[in-house]
Amino acid sequence: MTEARDHVVPRRLIEKPAGGARLRNLGQYLFLAPALVFMLLTMVYPVLSNLRMSVYDVNVATFLSNSAPFVGLDNYVKVVSDPAFQNAFRLSVYFTIGSLVFQFTIGFALALLFNRSFPGNGLLRALMLLGWMLPTVVSASIFRWMFDGGNGIINFLFESLGLLDAPRHWLIEPNTALIGTIVANIWVGIPFNMILLLPGLQSIPDSLYEAASIDGATPWQSFRRVTLPLMRPVALSVLLLGFIYTFKVFDIVYVMTRGGPVNATTVLPIYVYQLAFNFFRFGDGAAAAVLLLLPLSIVAVGYLWLSQHEESSS
Amino acid sequence: MKNNAVSRRKFLEGLALGTGVMFLASCAPPPAPAAPAEAGDAAPSDQPVTLAWWDYMTASNAAALDTQMAKYMDEFPAITIERTSIPFADLKQKLLQGAAAGQLPDVVIIDNPDHSSFSALGVFADVTDLVQSWGQESNYFEGPWASTLYQGKNYGIPDNSNCLVLWYNKAFTEPLGIQPPADWDQFKEVSAALTEEDRFGIVMSGVKSEEGTFQWLPFLWMTGEDLATLDSDGGKAALQLWVDLVDGGYMSPGILNWTQGDVKGQFVNGLAAMMVNGPWQIPVLREEAPDMDWDVATLPVEKQGASILGGENTAIVNSTQNLDAAWTLLTWRQEPENLKAYLIEAGKLPSHAELAKDETWTSDPALSVFVEQLQVAKPRAYGPNYPEISNAIQEMMQAAISGQKSVDVAVADAQAIITPLLPA
Repeated sequence: MTEARDHVVPRRLIEKPAGGARLRNLGQYLFLAPALVFMLLTMVYPVLSNLRMSVYDVNVATFLSNSAPFVGLDNYVKVVSDPAFQNAFRLSVYFTIGSLVFQFTIGFALALLFNRSFPGNGLLRALMLLGWMLPTVVSASIFRWMFDGGNGIINFLFESLGLLDAPRHWLIEPNTALIGTIVANIWVGIPFNMILLLPGLQSIPDSLYEAASIDGATPWQSFRRVTLPLMRPVALSVLLLGFIYTFKVFDIVYVMTRGGPVNATTVLPIYVYQLAFNFFRFGDGAAAAVLLLLPLSIVAVGYLWLSQHEESSS
Repeated sequence: MKNNAVSRRKFLEGLALGTGVMFLASCAPPPAPAAPAEAGDAAPSDQPVTLAWWDYMTASNAAALDTQMAKYMDEFPAITIERTSIPFADLKQKLLQGAAAGQLPDVVIIDNPDHSSFSALGVFADVTDLVQSWGQESNYFEGPWASTLYQGKNYGIPDNSNCLVLWYNKAFTEPLGIQPPADWDQFKEVSAALTEEDRFGIVMSGVKSEEGTFQWLPFLWMTGEDLATLDSDGGKAALQLWVDLVDGGYMSPGILNWTQGDVKGQFVNGLAAMMVNGPWQIPVLREEAPDMDWDVATLPVEKQGASILGGENTAIVNSTQNLDAAWTLLTWRQEPENLKAYLIEAGKLPSHAELAKDETWTSDPALSVFVEQLQVAKPRAYGPNYPEISNAIQEMMQAAISGQKSVDVAVADAQAIITPLLPA
């Protein structure tokens, strides 16, 4: 139990520099109370309750009777040694990296485009957001039909361009199903990346570019030497946030393939969902959920550290 | 900016303190489970009672329930029924959440393969005594009735039934003089004969969900085998049949991602000459393609005829305070006259054997095929581990049809997973 507490609350945060300040600050804490209570109830409590469930053998027989025996780390051992978990973890890593690389690059390129002024800029930017605004079920269903082997537009396009001899069943072939879901997720994520990167670009003072061009810099040089270094903190934040969003994606994959064929697209969130809500193996599901949260928490702490670091240095 | 950083730290400190408290709280011993309601404790029926009711019905199904409940509330003014419709995909999760939070309705309509899982979970009330004094068991088909049982006890009563049959588009079969296939050999021949460049002979659903399992199990049963003997000549033949249909080009490999709704879409759009589907598509087809000339036939027979039993049951929730009122409502709905009106409006088939002899179902050419097929429809009565068993079947189908595993290996692997999950 103690290692669980250490995991949730790093000791560094509990220790206080001075005791007297605490009372004086009580009034300030009161202002925080509503937000704190909200967070405790809606975020901290479920996570802790999940942590607790992950060390009990909660299943169909013990779910309601509260008679689940304490099993320590048995659920974790069971989950980690399950080949399906290892497969799911690996797929989640592929899914996340594949999505992030393209979302970010294309999002960055579009942000550069929209950072210039041209007629129709506002309208096009609003249209770009469409992918982000559509309910995921809608965009995932559309992609499912686009990738369909019989009547999908992707086959039609590739065949008319001469890139493909015979129609392919993209979401049914084990080698391409994951790629299909990644493509859909990239499309959904591009506006998110663009919209977060654009203000970063806009905050770079024009005078820097002017100075660079006076020194004779080519556009490529000013991009390499001015834009990229100044965008680094923003880009890192976007990538970390993107990781958090992507690693836990459930709906796109579920709607497009249900985790199939066989388990070629059973990413970690789908695996967790299956354990808990399809198989009623709540204890194992909770343990898998904790293992899903682990990399997310590490990245989240990294993000917090980064933004704090950024603030204090600016 | 500096200030901001300090307040963030304080916020985290506050969070840390709160977290500690919550952690202790969550370590506290869990509250004792609520005692199950006793029939004797329930309110007498002349007291005003509100019954909460959950289902996942939409469209004509929901309208039929609303009609029926309005009638009930007219007859029993003291009873108010509050019906809540929850999307099918969410109902199981909602029931689990409600059970954990102690907030469940009084009555639930549930998909019959899920019934025993929730009985095992302790969500539904054991109504064995009430069912026995009711004495109607012999009026029901065996399959639907068995799906309400868990470890020999009654946890509800059947509401309606459905099963799968073979649908064919006469515009494609009649020019070729093709009759519905009687056995598997004919099934393959007919599927091949009906296949054109832009049209598949047959479509069935092999999607990775319960729907895929639902469509394949009848073929296993037709061979006389069952899940305990999946790894047998019959089990392999049933899987090989689907693989052959796909490999021969008579059935699209797309079936691995098609739900039964998608299968119906292929059929309606003339992209498939035959499909396997259930009676709930009748009103859909009549509305979407009123001019289409389709017909239905019983599934082809191998060693024996078989289909799968779908449909819903009604169950009373274990924590209800209104057991008597809920039971009265459930049995009132099963009185032939009330049941018939509801089933007709909802477009459903009866689980009630006597009612199935009514001319509503015997005189309609399409419905009578379903009622005939229902005689050999088996329930998925595989105990509370069924969802995991079903998943193993889906993975077996997908691995063999997509060519990742040979039929022999896929069947053997599935058997290894399924055997320990079957009830002893």
